[in-house]
Amino acid sequence: MRYAILLMGAPYSSQAAHSALRFARALVGRGHRLEGVFFYHDGVHNAARLAAPPQDEPHLVDGWAALANEHGVPLQVCIAAALRRGLLDEREAARHGKQGHSIEPPFELTGLGQLLDLGLSCDRLVTFGP
Amino acid sequence: MANDKAQGVEGDLLVILRHGPHGTSWLREGLDAALVAAAFGRKVTLLFMGEGITALVPGQTSGPLGQKGTAPTLEMLEMYDIDTLLVEAEALERFGLTVEGLMLPVRAVAASQLPAVTADHSLVLTF
Amino acid sequence: MLLHILNRSPATSEVYRQAMAAMGPDDRLLMIEDGVQGALESLVGRFGGLQGRLYALEEDLAARGQVPLCDASVTRVDVEGFVALTEEAQRTVSWF
Repeated sequence: MRYAILLMGAPYSSQAAHSALRFARALVGRGHRLEGVFFYHDGVHNAARLAAPPQDEPHLVDGWAALANEHGVPLQVCIAAALRRGLLDEREAARHGKQGHSIEPPFELTGLGQLLDLGLSCDRLVTFGP
Repeated sequence: MANDKAQGVEGDLLVILRHGPHGTSWLREGLDAALVAAAFGRKVTLLFMGEGITALVPGQTSGPLGQKGTAPTLEMLEMYDIDTLLVEAEALERFGLTVEGLMLPVRAVAASQLPAVTADHSLVLTF
Repeated sequence: MLLHILNRSPATSEVYRQAMAAMGPDDRLLMIEDGVQGALESLVGRFGGLQGRLYALEEDLAARGQVPLCDASVTRVDVEGFVALTEEAQRTVSWF
């Protein structure tokens, strides 16, 4: 089946991101396709390129990136939610005259339309909230 | 749109709004998702549950620090062809509100009708 | 038949009531994260009427030391079982 995940919790602050990553791995392990993970609300923090948790703790940002790199899963971050929370890729940082950037591939800033697209075209959309 | 006999409500997307205005971003973000779906031509139903019903209290303003609030977005729903607005009847009672006293035309839905509303949409998002 | 996913404890949040109000007679409820507290004997009664349709994610019970405290009426599933539940339902609704 074709799955999509909507994640609305930031890493560490709640278990949402952990549960979502566990679920993502398990569904891929069962042979399903994960068509995309959409990050909205505080979920955009999962794309924070500068996250530096202690070595002996889960690294959610890297975890999502690994999933994307291993299985070709698109990681789509709502641009409006991201900008408000200080998550900008190089292009947006330049556009807003900011030094440095906080999002990089495989995370991609996209519009909310992508969420609806995923939700309406996939067999299952599972939401993980804080 | 009075509280008349139970009639099937179905559509592509049901957005359940459980939070009131200003206190958190949930209401705003839920409405944005609903508007985008409607802009893409989808049939969208909004269900205001629990505290979400306070989103429809008239006379709202922008926030103390200039936050936009959600009243302006709600005024735009009709323009986006989102006209199926449901409110949880129990929430109306809990918050001492009436259908007539809300800022938009809504239909009250009793608890017994909620499962059917939830089941009759292709996609359900909760905010 | 829908799968409702609850991640908040019934002891600390009322969202479980909203979830139950939206549940149809065949729908299932899966408790995850702090929601697994609902599997405690003292709290499981809040889910009356969900006989055979109430599930808890084992790894979240285990992390909380609550596996031995899980009421017998709750079906424990591992994360693969979580995926299986989503396969069996037409769609999922999350309550947080």
